[in-house]
Amino acid sequence: MIGRRAAIAALCAAVAALSSVASSAPSPAPDILVSRQLLESQQLQVGDVVSLSSDTSGANPRSFRIAGQYEPTPDPMRLGAVRLEVRMHLPDVVGLTAQSDPLDAESVDAINVVLANDDEARATVRRLMTAVPGTLAERTGNDERRAAPFVVLERFHLAIAIVTVIASSVFLLALMLMLVEERRATVGMLRLIGFRRSRILQHVLAEGVVIAITGALFGVVLSVVLEGGINRFFQWRYDTALVFVHITPGVALRSVTVAVPLGVAAIFASSWSLLRGEGISLTRR
Amino acid sequence: MEPLIEARSLGKVFPMGGGPVHALRDISVQIAAGEYLTIRGPSGCGKSTLLHILGCVDTPSSGTLRFDGRDVSALPDHARSDLRLRSIGFVFQRFFLLPMLTAAENVDVPQAEAGVSRADRKRRTAELLDYVGLGHRAGHRPSQLSGGEAQRVAIARALANRPRLLLADEPTGELDRANGEHIAELLDRVQADGTTVVVVTHDAALAERAGRRLVMRDGLIEREEHAR
Ligand SMILES: Nc1ncnc2c1ncn2[C@@H]1O[C@H](COP(=O)(O)OP(=O)(O)O)[C@@H](O)[C@H]1O
Ligand SMILES: [Mg+2]
Repeated sequence: MIGRRAAIAALCAAVAALSSVASSAPSPAPDILVSRQLLESQQLQVGDVVSLSSDTSGANPRSFRIAGQYEPTPDPMRLGAVRLEVRMHLPDVVGLTAQSDPLDAESVDAINVVLANDDEARATVRRLMTAVPGTLAERTGNDERRAAPFVVLERFHLAIAIVTVIASSVFLLALMLMLVEERRATVGMLRLIGFRRSRILQHVLAEGVVIAITGALFGVVLSVVLEGGINRFFQWRYDTALVFVHITPGVALRSVTVAVPLGVAAIFASSWSLLRGEGISLTRR
Repeated sequence: MEPLIEARSLGKVFPMGGGPVHALRDISVQIAAGEYLTIRGPSGCGKSTLLHILGCVDTPSSGTLRFDGRDVSALPDHARSDLRLRSIGFVFQRFFLLPMLTAAENVDVPQAEAGVSRADRKRRTAELLDYVGLGHRAGHRPSQLSGGEAQRVAIARALANRPRLLLADEPTGELDRANGEHIAELLDRVQADGTTVVVVTHDAALAERAGRRLVMRDGLIEREEHAR
């Protein structure tokens, strides 16, 4: 994509001056696409003929026929902005913005181009700049200024995650220690029957692994289930197609690899004191 | 004939904050295979401590203990565990059944740990529960059993791996007279079927059932009685 969005932005402002014309009238009006949000807010329908102006006062309107609606590309930088937009053919943009002054026909100074193949961006930029001297072409992707807020957000998420894990580990350990009294009796009985310490340790660890894996999987399943609900709520709230939560296999795997050793460690730590000492002292009260 | 148990000058000291407690001072006793021995004496005289040492749950501070000719007084923990699992059965005053398991599962546990096959375990468990008269209670949990029944399950569990020695610490202490009587009869039967039985008890009637009776006081054997 190239340049700024000046032209489109101007049109966004212009839709304030938009007015509907009887759709039955036969018209040579050129086709435009209207964003879903604009269509809904103005109660328009595909096939309607509308007037657009580049001026907020609605001066020098032109008629266009709504050929269809589209869902604007989600953009986290514009979260909360109502996307009242139209898409039109380039000559129509020129015609609409350059009515009074013929020089204005040259006035489109920036256009965005979407490439079918994103990998060709660099080559395309180079080709454009050599083919049309004086053109400034640049990629919009990989823009650090644009990405910076998300880097901050990501660090913030990481911090929240770390605090959550530490707090829940403390909670888990406390819970385990509360269950120690019950385990004390069980471990003591098994020791009296003749279980070796190492065997009990094996059982404890096996139990810990099963509990930890079950818990981790439960967490992953829960988050996958909630994922749909959270996305739907915020998509409704901000009227966007943005995806807010996405549990990828990588995320799930990372959660499991953190949770399982943590769970096993908690069970191990809470049982450790029980395995020391003689069976009989464990059952003594 | 070599005795099953041969204890020589056993002593046990518990180092405590207010000075060491001498639970056992000098205990020497031989117990023949198949014998029925009871131990009684006032509370705190060291009966349980002696039983724990004889059962390889605890180790003596001094003296030696031989089990079936083998010196077990200084065995490492895992070796004592194996000995308990295969050769010694324990019965306690408070039953110590695993509360989350059924009667049958409680009897199954030591056999599983000893590596007995599933089919053999099943057969042995059913046989043992029948032996203690609880075949119909196999699926019940300890909380669903009366005290007497729980103690019978505990005896079945203690016998699971056909131990040479059954040790019981106040097995009737939590039971009423009728149930205590029932347990006493069961212990008689266990001994008659060839297992060496040592019972610590306050209950004079239970103590009287044994052919040989020790009376302890202050960590020492005060006297020994024999049935006429
Ligand atoms: N684990 C232990 N730590 C400290 N002292 C103990 C321990 N076990 C027993 N004792 C002490 O040893 C003595 C004998 O205890 P015990 O063998 O339980 O007596 P009994 O069973 O005859 O009532 C008592 O004074 C008791 O307080
Ligand atoms: Mg006692």
